[in-house]
Amino acid sequence: MKAEKLYENNEHTWIVFGRDVDKPDAIIDTNQYMITSKNNALLMDPGGIELFSSMLSAVIKEVPAHKITHLFASHQDPDIISSLGLWDLALTDATLHSPWLWEGFIRHFGMQHIEYDGIPDEGGRLALDDVSLEFIPAHYLHSSGNFNVYDPKAKILMSGDIGAALEGPDAPMFVDDFDAHVGKMKMFHQRWMPSNRAKNDWVRRVRELDIDMMCPQHGRIFKGNDVKRFLDWFEGLEVGLTMGRL
Amino acid sequence: MSEVSSNYFVAAATIAAKLDYATKVAQRLSLTASNARALTLRAGQSAAGFRPLTDAIHRLSDITVSSSKKINAIAAVLSRMAVEKYRADSALKYFDAVYSQAKGSRHLASLSDVYARTKVKQKDLMVQYQQKIQQLTQELEAVEGELRSAVVLKVLCQIEASQAGLAYQDALNNVAENVESIAETIKEQIVFSRQQVAILQ
Repeated sequence: MKAEKLYENNEHTWIVFGRDVDKPDAIIDTNQYMITSKNNALLMDPGGIELFSSMLSAVIKEVPAHKITHLFASHQDPDIISSLGLWDLALTDATLHSPWLWEGFIRHFGMQHIEYDGIPDEGGRLALDDVSLEFIPAHYLHSSGNFNVYDPKAKILMSGDIGAALEGPDAPMFVDDFDAHVGKMKMFHQRWMPSNRAKNDWVRRVRELDIDMMCPQHGRIFKGNDVKRFLDWFEGLEVGLTMGRL
Repeated sequence: MSEVSSNYFVAAATIAAKLDYATKVAQRLSLTASNARALTLRAGQSAAGFRPLTDAIHRLSDITVSSSKKINAIAAVLSRMAVEKYRADSALKYFDAVYSQAKGSRHLASLSDVYARTKVKQKDLMVQYQQKIQQLTQELEAVEGELRSAVVLKVLCQIEASQAGLAYQDALNNVAENVESIAETIKEQIVFSRQQVAILQ
């Protein structure tokens, strides 16, 4: 599992974990993110059971296990949070922030010690020492209860499945040619995202944020002008299509 | 009869299911006893020798129902414990992989407490699990012993049926056959469950 620092200042750090060459071939490649602050760390979309050992191994190269006090699951999918039952045994004092809508479902992954903090539909905030983070609503993109994490200081948006691309574990970490990258994203967004209205609401909301980096859970990270390019492309894309499979 | 399972938490769940079935079958024994009692009342003096046997059938039914319920409850607890034990076992396996993958990492020691805690939990579960298995084995043996009396009961019922009035002989013989066949069905569940217990150990 590769780990790459995305941002660092005196208060906090952003790290992406991904491109796990040891993962079983049949499971989708995922990006996991972590924000570390003075005394705490937040793991975002920590991944599935199959990745747990690689992920924990990568994480403790950066911080001690007890520093992970917060988890975030953008939604309920197995590639996002099916490792919860194992994190539940690994972490001594942690809270999971996730859509209120999914609490009863996510608890099926096994959760006896970790606390569940249900994020209300309109979003919320999380203070990680001196770092203030925002949970931005992204409902129906693709899950009916879904959030992104925005860090106004680092100007980073962790966008979950929005901006995702289906690529192998050897793909670069950043988008280097937006036009060429579109082909890797199109089907994913048209098929997995069900609502044009929800999509356009999200684009309007996110255009108001100051973003240097947009970090999806699959594929590559968008930097600088590619963030705006993505928003323009996504706004013009018709979603909720079955790609002629019916 | 289905194949003996080689997976321990599936085995525990299978025992619970088998004993749940055994409880239902044992309840049929109770019905047989009630029918036999009604029959002997109708037969009057001509089936007087059969009457005390209906009490024995009732007693066998009560013991079997209550034992089956008890065993079913133990097996259900064992099934839950087996899943918990599986989770602890697999967490330790994942942690072991971390120790080998992250060798030399500066925060690797931060896992020690978590590892030790999970190990203690696994050990505690193992002790409780073994105690439950022992309890389960004893209960299964006890109910199997009780069921042996069903064969004697059947023979006694047949003897008494042969001495009853002609009008009631077939019905009383039927009671005897029922006692044996129900006891045999319950015994099959018990024998199968005992085979499953071997997997749990």
